[in-house]
Order: sequence, then structure tokens, then C-alpha cells
Amino acid sequence: MSYDEVEIEDMEWSEELQAFTYPCPCGDLFQITKEELCLGEEIARCPSCSLFITVVYNPEDFAADPTPDPNSRKKPSPVAVA
Amino acid sequence: MEIAEEAVEMAAAEEEEEEEEEVYAWSWGAGTDGQLGTGTLEDQHLPQVLPHLPTAVSSVACGGAHAVALTGDGKVLTWGRGTHGQLGHGKFQSCCRPKPVKFLESLTISYISAGWNHSGFVTDMGCLFMCGDGSFGQLGNGDNQSHDSPFKVLFFASQRVKQVACGMRHSLALVTGSSGDVIYGFGSGRHGQIGKHLSGGQRSLNLPTAVQGFDDHKIVSMHANGDHSAALSASGQLYIWGRRFSGDVDNHIPQLAPLSLRISQVALGWNHALVMADGFVYMLGGSRHGLLAETQKVNLVEHRLPKLASCTTSNGSLLTLERVPCLDEKVVSIAAGAEHSALVTEKGSVMTWGWGEHGQLGLGDTSDQTCPQKVKLDCNGSFLSTQSVVYCGSGFTIVTKSTE
Repeated sequence: MSYDEVEIEDMEWSEELQAFTYPCPCGDLFQITKEELCLGEEIARCPSCSLFITVVYNPEDFAADPTPDPNSRKKPSPVAVA
Repeated sequence: MEIAEEAVEMAAAEEEEEEEEEVYAWSWGAGTDGQLGTGTLEDQHLPQVLPHLPTAVSSVACGGAHAVALTGDGKVLTWGRGTHGQLGHGKFQSCCRPKPVKFLESLTISYISAGWNHSGFVTDMGCLFMCGDGSFGQLGNGDNQSHDSPFKVLFFASQRVKQVACGMRHSLALVTGSSGDVIYGFGSGRHGQIGKHLSGGQRSLNLPTAVQGFDDHKIVSMHANGDHSAALSASGQLYIWGRRFSGDVDNHIPQLAPLSLRISQVALGWNHALVMADGFVYMLGGSRHGLLAETQKVNLVEHRLPKLASCTTSNGSLLTLERVPCLDEKVVSIAAGAEHSALVTEKGSVMTWGWGEHGQLGLGDTSDQTCPQKVKLDCNGSFLSTQSVVYCGSGFTIVTKSTE
């Protein structure tokens, strides 16, 4: 079961990890790459534990623009798993 | 110079290790960033002796993956993840053993707090110092820069700060003035956690703003964890604001929890809160790991928060309250990590429950527990006094023993 639902606006871009990140309760970070978002992936995983979150975003924003700015995004809408 | 100092410190540390010293602190749980302070980066499923701490630690604050310890004479040591400057050592580097914060050495610190990646320190003169991640404005200095050394928050230059509380991406400061107590919030406000309704595209505030909505109560403590905030009034009443605990609306106006309890202690997790009243512990909210077993929910009492006169939110929030079971003894202190909980009983037993994947329950495995379980602390033969205090970081736990 997904630990939480997090809007992409609440995630932080990490240059080091080249991924959008969000704090995991274990102390590490949930991570999802732009490439995964482009492919419609909505699960961000923590490398240190079994938890994962569902990322809420508009897939069109990532399909259209390879280097999107999450802060300029309009209303996100939940997407179903393809 | 610094290398020489470190060498001296290490030599002193080794000397200490050789002596058969009484143990004053233990740590366990997630260790990947050095947050256990034991020099290792491994998760630990059983209590480990936390060496290199002065005997007179008066309190510890645990954050996402770092910890801050305050000594009886007002000095501060930090360890764990330091990648955002949260250790205050003057560099963006982690440190796997307790190390004094040199910058604060000339000051007497009276209160500390640790957030996800930032730290706060209050001096005996009522000045607030902050360091660490500032990207959400949670350092309160008007910009969104991170700082690797503590700096004075000038907003409070003419005020007397009493306490600081650091959450995931926000901070609270309790200020005492002639007209009573005021809580200020700053940092991320997306879920109402800084007590201010943010309009338009605003996501955070990098300068403190007063939280409105308290009925003129004297505030004895305030708390921040995850995207939640809470304050405890002198009359034992709990106010909560920020992100919903389960399925309800976020509130930027403090909501008075209508519990018929005189609350003496509060601890916040990411999805639950613990309150202590008359030696009993109750859990609020929690739909995830912090929650007790489904089968024990028979005792669950539901309380509907009344709409406050000043409240502009459309619907009252639903809160669930549950008394923590399996306790034979009265409880003297409580703590909450992101998804685990801990308490100390009047006879000095340390008990834990909740999420255990990283060993943060200290029970020797990675199982979750729905009922408080006793942690076995090896005290080198000495009797564990009732002054033990437990502290929880996101995925780790620390216990200190008072020497008094």
C-alpha cells in the first residue's frame, strides 16, 4: 500500500540524485526520475526501505517538456496506472 | 589546527572507551546518516551505547536523520546527517559521532529542536539561532538559503524567544511578551502548518508570522513534526493545526481538540500525535504505521472537533482518540518518531511501538508492533533510574539517563 499521496509540487528536485524527492519516514528520500515521470510512472520509491508513495502529477507536463519546472505547474490531476 | 583538534578529541574519545564508564545514553534504528552517533552507518535493531556524550545531557532533539544534544551548562553537540548544514559545524557534511557546535560555545543555550534537515537553538537571553536547510524559508531570515553555521534570526531581535520547534519544512517560535505568549510560524505553509492561509501561488513564508486563533491561553509547549503543528496550553488543552491526520481537511487555524483530558505532554509524528494525561497515553489520528492494531479499535472513541468561532474552514475535523493499551505502569514521558512511538514508565521501563522496519523499536528485529513493548537496555549493572528520557527521530530512537 502506498504510504502517501504527494503532489509533484511538494517534491524537491535533487541535482545530485537527478530525481524528484520527498522525505521518507525512515530518514531517506522517496525518489522518482524525470524519465520515469515521462513514462507515466507514478510510484516514487525509497532506496532504504519498503515504503513508496504515489506521485500526483499531470503526465502531459512531462511528456511535452523534458526539463519541466514543477513550480510552474497548473492544477495536478491524479492519473490512473496505465 | 582543526585536524590537530580532532586528533585530540579522538584520543580523548579512545581513552574514554577504555574506561569502564557508566552508560548514560543509547541509540537504535536507522543509521545510514550517522544519526545513531555511534560511529557506524548501519541500522541497529538493539540499543547501542552512545558514547562521547557528556554525562550531563539535559535534553536531546532528533530530526530526520540528525540529532542535537543540550548539556546542563547550555552547550550543544550535534551528529548525523549534515548535508544541509543542520549540524551547525560550519560545513555541509555529516558526522557520525557527537561533536560540539563551536559557533554556539560562547552562548548558553536553553532550548533546542531538530527538524527534517534544519535545527533551532534558543539562548538563555531569548535569542533564536537557526541552521540547516532554508529552501522553504524554514530558517526565518527572509531568504531561502541554507546555512551551515547557526545564525541569529533578526526578526526576533527585540523579542524574547522561549522555545523553537522544527518540522519537516517549517518552524515555530514561541515568544513571551507583555501581552502574553505568541507563536510564530515560518517555512512551508502548503498544509497550513505555519498557521497562515497562503493565497495565490504562495507556498511558504521565509519571515515569521504570528499564528492567530488561541483563546488567550498561556502556552507551555509547542511541537512540529511532518507538516503538523501543535501547542499545549497551561490549562492542559491541545491545539493542532497543519496537515490533516487522516482523511480530513488541512487547518491553518489552530483547532482546539475537545478532549476531556488535562494534557501534560504532547508528541507529534508524521501521521499521529501522542498525548499524556494523568499517567495515561492516548494516540490521536494515525492511519498508518503509528496506529495501534485494528482489533484494539473497539475502545476507540470518536470526537468531532467543533467549529471555532474564528474558524473559516468549512467543516470540523474528525479526530480519533485511542488509549494506548498494554500499560501496567504510569507513564512519565512520551516521544514520537515519524511512524513509531516510545514512552518511559514511572519505574523506568522504556517501551516502543509502531513501525519497526529499521529497528527503530529496539526490540532486536524489524517487526512492527501494535502494542508497547519493553526495550531491554543493558545498563552495565547500574539500575536504570526513572529519569530516563526517550527521544525519537524520523526512523531512530535515543534514550538518555539523567545523572541527578
